[in-house]
Amino acid sequence: MSKTVDEAPGAARSARRAGRRTVPSRKMSSRRKKEAFYFWLFISPWLIGFVGFLLGPMIASVYISFTEWDSFTPPEWVGLDNYAKALTGDPVFWKALGNTFYYALISVPLGLVIGVWLANLLNKRVRGRKLFRTFIYLPTLVPLVATAMVFKMVLAPSGPLNELLGWFGIEGPNWLLDPTWVKPALIVLSAWGAGGATVLLLSAMNGIPRELYEAAEIDGASAWRQFWSVTFPQITPVIFFNLIMGLIGSFQIFSQVYILTAGGPDNASQMMVPLLFREAFSFYHFGYASAVAWLLFLVIMAFTLIAFRTSRSWVFYEQEVR
Amino acid sequence: MENKIRRRTLVQAAATAGVAVPVLAACGGGDDDGTGPLKMVVWGGDLDKETYQARIDLFEKANPDVKIELQLIPSDQYEQKVQTMIAGGDGPDIMQVAEGVNTYSSKSQILPLDDYAKDAGLDLEERFGPVGTLYSYEDKVYAIPDRSGAMIVYYNKDLFDAAGVEYPTAEWTQEDAKAAMEKLTVSGTQWGYGGAGWWPQWWSFAYQNGGQIIDDGGQPTANSPEVVTALQWANDLAHKDHVVPTAAEYADMGPDMGGDPAFAAQKVAINTTGFWAIGGLLEVDFNWDIAPLWRGADQAVSAFGSGLAISRDCKNPERAFKAIEFLTNADAQEVIIDKAQDVPANLEVQQSDAFLTPSWATTPLNMAAFGESADFIFRAPFIPQWNEMQAAFNDNLGTFWNEGGDAQTELDKIQTQLESIITD
Amino acid sequence: MTAIATKPASRRKRTGEREPRLLSVFKASPATYAVLLVVSAIFFVPFILMVSISLASDQTSAQNAFTVLPTEFEWKNFTDVFTATGLPVGRFVLNSVLIATLSAVGQVLSSSLVGYAFARLRAPGKGVMFMIVLATMMIPAQITMIPQFLLFKELGWVNTYLPLIIPNFFTNAFNVFLVRQFVSRISGELDEAAQMDGLGYFGIYRKIILPMMWPILTAIAIFTLTHAWGDFMGPLIYLNSEESMPLALGLQYMTGTSNEMQLPPWNLVMVGSIILTLPMIAIYYLGQKYLYEMNLQGGSAGVK
Repeated sequence: MSKTVDEAPGAARSARRAGRRTVPSRKMSSRRKKEAFYFWLFISPWLIGFVGFLLGPMIASVYISFTEWDSFTPPEWVGLDNYAKALTGDPVFWKALGNTFYYALISVPLGLVIGVWLANLLNKRVRGRKLFRTFIYLPTLVPLVATAMVFKMVLAPSGPLNELLGWFGIEGPNWLLDPTWVKPALIVLSAWGAGGATVLLLSAMNGIPRELYEAAEIDGASAWRQFWSVTFPQITPVIFFNLIMGLIGSFQIFSQVYILTAGGPDNASQMMVPLLFREAFSFYHFGYASAVAWLLFLVIMAFTLIAFRTSRSWVFYEQEVR
Repeated sequence: MENKIRRRTLVQAAATAGVAVPVLAACGGGDDDGTGPLKMVVWGGDLDKETYQARIDLFEKANPDVKIELQLIPSDQYEQKVQTMIAGGDGPDIMQVAEGVNTYSSKSQILPLDDYAKDAGLDLEERFGPVGTLYSYEDKVYAIPDRSGAMIVYYNKDLFDAAGVEYPTAEWTQEDAKAAMEKLTVSGTQWGYGGAGWWPQWWSFAYQNGGQIIDDGGQPTANSPEVVTALQWANDLAHKDHVVPTAAEYADMGPDMGGDPAFAAQKVAINTTGFWAIGGLLEVDFNWDIAPLWRGADQAVSAFGSGLAISRDCKNPERAFKAIEFLTNADAQEVIIDKAQDVPANLEVQQSDAFLTPSWATTPLNMAAFGESADFIFRAPFIPQWNEMQAAFNDNLGTFWNEGGDAQTELDKIQTQLESIITD
Repeated sequence: MTAIATKPASRRKRTGEREPRLLSVFKASPATYAVLLVVSAIFFVPFILMVSISLASDQTSAQNAFTVLPTEFEWKNFTDVFTATGLPVGRFVLNSVLIATLSAVGQVLSSSLVGYAFARLRAPGKGVMFMIVLATMMIPAQITMIPQFLLFKELGWVNTYLPLIIPNFFTNAFNVFLVRQFVSRISGELDEAAQMDGLGYFGIYRKIILPMMWPILTAIAIFTLTHAWGDFMGPLIYLNSEESMPLALGLQYMTGTSNEMQLPPWNLVMVGSIILTLPMIAIYYLGQKYLYEMNLQGGSAGVK
């Protein structure tokens, strides 16, 4: 392992980029050799884990995705059939993919908007700010399983949420039973955790130099304008971080679905990971499940790349440049 | 094996002593020589656990050298959990199986039991009658019947009397049933019937019409006119005739509401379900009784039952079979009726006074309804792809049941899906 | 939302003041308070509901007649949950503690060592390795879920805690990254001095760097504890016997195991939910400032 890596072409370049020393001499002194030895020794836990729990399984996963395998009888090579089946022959796959998009693309931006909004309010000189912050952050500390249990009650047809809507003369839907409303119900559940982003954003806002606001005020900028021209650009890195993490996380939604809806009604809340789980552990379609996993990976990669690509136009990096 | 144990011990030491010990012991215990306790898994609720445990206690008393560890798994996750256990090489020794039996047998995850039965001198036909070979695949028996009983009609006598409706009989037609439901419905507060959204319910009507879900040649016929008519009829009861609570109306009664609790709460006058509902009704303060299901062109009703099977991970199948043989004998099966859990599969017990006039009955009950129904039970298609088939129905019928719709459209979709599932 | 934020800025100028002037943008109007109060209340309702249900009697529970504000106070539910469910709930809690603690120990030990090496030691190939570390942060766990399951099956680890604990002893990319960032900021003079004194690389790690790393290691420990404590899917796949289940999975079992006719014992389930939640709140309050540290590093540095 170490040998191939030693000869990797990127090695010298990266070392230079890290800015530590100048280009290392080709011949290593014995002290250098010893240091290198300890490096590899110390990173061996990660390296073993990487090979044993990640790289090895990934390669196995690629292979399994090209087979039809129930794990009891020998695997049967089917080439790209599993991928073809997912993309052309399985209506549930497309439904689950669509649902996952729906969920991720609404819940993540919504959570961020709520998060920014609340952070901006809390960033004012508010009496009892700590208390408010606690109330808003508390939900993120509740383990997902407990959250699901509580929201089973919150979202009941005559539960607190519908009662609240009733005060405004709105007749609330049967959240978890109605195919139109089951995804919004899961989004409501995720919005309850928006406080996580709030706290991060708040700390970023705290770090914004006061002079910027003073200057803006002298210019006579309104609070609204100050938010967009001063606050927002400064917190874009945190927003961006939360966006990426949120997207990756929400594409992998599992427990809420498994506990609250089992994907129903009519697969209206079926998502990628529960689908994959069902194919693997209920139907023993290990090959097909692996193919679904790789398709999910592609989706996540694509979104992450898009987020990175577009970030250049709106994420403010000035401070970070070293 | 040696190797594996050593490896475990090493890792265990590395992970510090305390943790792994109890769990490793629980899993590894006796796996190797087959003398440890037998692991048995069943589904259901508290009463089921209590009843199985009581039967196991009888067995352990008679066989002091064999211990059985019982584990109850919530019904809605049972299949998935057991399959994951088997896929992980940690299957139970004895497991409860039902309609899904052939998902296991077709993949050789449970053992054929014919030879063990022969060795033990157990005549399935004699002990269980025609259901003796119910859990068969390619002419081999994979599970010994344990519980077995037709779906029956529960009716609230007080509500029937108040509405002036005759009590139901096996001679009722679907039209008679619907007419009664209409009379028994009081808009917004009381409904005639608990609904037929569960497969044993509406499939019964399909078979009454002469339809089949899977035909005798093994091909799906889910969109045949008979099946479509039955499904539409069952659905219209809720969304057109309003004699069955809709999903929304059920949800308003509370979370996890359905026909069984609604009947107990006197919200519905008729409910079709299995024996197990009796237990919860012994304490209610209204009069009720049971009857065989009504009929269509034919008589047909589905049966609930389950058997006991031995997984391929069992190290000592002889011992496991000995336990199953004991658990299905007359003495152990009488516990099932004593506890008011279910209908025992053992014919001798089914025909005994203990069953026909059970000691716990607070009012005389028409227990003969079970025997009467036994004559027209239809055989549901226990195909190896049972889980996928159920998923296809559930996936497509969710909105249909909740909001109403066109049965033909949904069943056409299901038929296409079934065709691809079954040829796979 | 804009209406609240754009409350017209007052034009008064009190230039002679000693205290820094409160900029208009930081001024909290009554509307700000109103919104914060309403939002906090809405965020808090599920907690009240949780408590209210947990204190409801069995009858109320059976009828699903719950109210948001508690009307009954059945404190015995908090002991009943351990005795009356037919499930070894005490054991569930113990299992959760064991799994979470050992996972945290594993992450702390391995990530500190690996992160130190990436921050301080020089070796050819290190750059590539670090690129791989960063790249693996992108790979969703689902890709490896099935092969890992089959691997652990071959190792005979199914129905043990090992699949849930052992991988933590091989660290994960995110934690390596955090430690590396943290150690990079520690001045190198100390270790150079130590090296002069003849301390080896492990000695430097053990005696010099490790003692200084504890803020980030505490953060990692908390993060791992929280994650392992609430993990549902891992136990769902690997743990089969009731005695081995952690609370997160056991709680879900509790909603399933009730009599067919009855409903799940919601009051006890909510007690269980509270037991599952409280340690997380406690840990958060004890370790708040360290988490803040990690958030800052992960939040701003993590996306560069």
